[in-house]
Amino acid sequence: MDWIRHHPGAAIFTALIGLLIFLWGMAIPLSYAPEPIGPAAELFAEGTRVTVGLTVVSGLAGLVLGVLVGLGNLSPIKPIRWFCAFYVWVLRGTPLLLQILFVWLVLPTLLPAEWSLSDFTLAAIALSLNIGAYNSECVRAGILAVPHGQIEAAKALGFSPFQTFWDIVLPQSMRIALPALANNLASLVKDSSLAYAISVVELTMVGYRIQAESYQPIPVFLTVGAIYLILTTAFTTMTNAIEQMLDVGRKR
Amino acid sequence: MNEHPIIEAIDVHKRYGAFHALKGVTARFYPGEVTAILGPSGSGKSTFLRMLNRLEKHDAGQIFIDGIELNDDPKHLAAIRREVGMVFQNFNLFTHLTVLRNVALAPMRIRKVARKAAETRAMALLERVGLADHAHKYPIQLSGGQQQRVAIARALAMDPKVLLFDEPTSALDPEMVNEVLTVMRELAHTGITMLVVTHEMGFAREVADRVLFFDQGSILEDTTPDRFFNDPAHERARAFLAQVKHGF
Repeated sequence: MDWIRHHPGAAIFTALIGLLIFLWGMAIPLSYAPEPIGPAAELFAEGTRVTVGLTVVSGLAGLVLGVLVGLGNLSPIKPIRWFCAFYVWVLRGTPLLLQILFVWLVLPTLLPAEWSLSDFTLAAIALSLNIGAYNSECVRAGILAVPHGQIEAAKALGFSPFQTFWDIVLPQSMRIALPALANNLASLVKDSSLAYAISVVELTMVGYRIQAESYQPIPVFLTVGAIYLILTTAFTTMTNAIEQMLDVGRKR
Repeated sequence: MNEHPIIEAIDVHKRYGAFHALKGVTARFYPGEVTAILGPSGSGKSTFLRMLNRLEKHDAGQIFIDGIELNDDPKHLAAIRREVGMVFQNFNLFTHLTVLRNVALAPMRIRKVARKAAETRAMALLERVGLADHAHKYPIQLSGGQQQRVAIARALAMDPKVLLFDEPTSALDPEMVNEVLTVMRELAHTGITMLVVTHEMGFAREVADRVLFFDQGSILEDTTPDRFFNDPAHERARAFLAQVKHGF
């Protein structure tokens, strides 16, 4: 959209404020909706907040993880490379639902009993691990796309390997990787619904329960779908705008 | 010149697999000297240049820059790279940063100069290469010649004692070659030590104090421009000059 291209800062601000207003205020207009939506407005709002919470927490953790693993995949140290390749291989090669169930059932038995992680936390861990694997491949591709000559120029100027990475490689590789990372984030908004399997009451779970009580799946699931569309629209507006902001040096 | 050499290469070898790119190169360069390094492609001249700031590692022999040995010691390497600037054939500007930031970044990061001071100095350098008006543009908005001048300013920002030029005009359209050579010509008079791998025979003849002619991984001639262009000692140098003659 042209508007996002010309005013990326304003677009991010608007999408963010819009999302927050939606999260905290959606129950008010929704409560005027007819049965079975109106009486359950507060439940929808709470489920939406859980879905967004899962998305934001796992999205950020998955981004950090993706950068670390993407770098690890390019490490000169073989065991690090093997470990990262193994991680990506396993997490991309097995169903997300299985990963969520595995983390939920197995992780608590490995940790000290007094830690007692919540279902939300366990779901966030599983989602982070999963999206981290996908992100790492995008980051790796982004890093490989930074022209080698610039890395040589940084070396010749006396930049340390870390400075070269931080000032030269990372900003450019993120710009290149961003469209693919944004794609993963859009998937995450919806994949977070699989947390229903470990009784996290997120948006899809809310819809499922309400239609089970009211026997009216059509209005309930249409509402749930509409809410997901609003969420993905807000997130993609933000990622598109970030893309525009980072696009310096490429447009004439 | 009886000063200490600022660069000393002693019996330096480099192999790429079976290919022996440098076969025992020994050379000394003195402060303020402008040396043109000539030779056919594949003769090892760029490899030699890139070895002086360790973009390539030498397999055998020794290299000293300002008395510091170039080896795997990261402290030595950091000290040497601070003193040796490099200008590349393809400019290699940081495309995500403005021209000003390209020039100011290394002093800020490596010499820990405050941002304001680094940018003031960067502006002065851009002024010197005639690009102060373009300070806030991105590299892609500039022509090749302008980009190369920014790259020279970027190298100068670290106050190097030595500047290495690796075919600085080879990637430029003919009409942009002169603007870069003009900047280099001005630099040659400032007392900075310059090593210039080039195919610009006019530049070598008029500006250089000294010419090295590389052939098949060795220095075949080490002489003055006058002697090299008018009376080369080796048949190979004569053949090379005959082939590039149209260039000057």
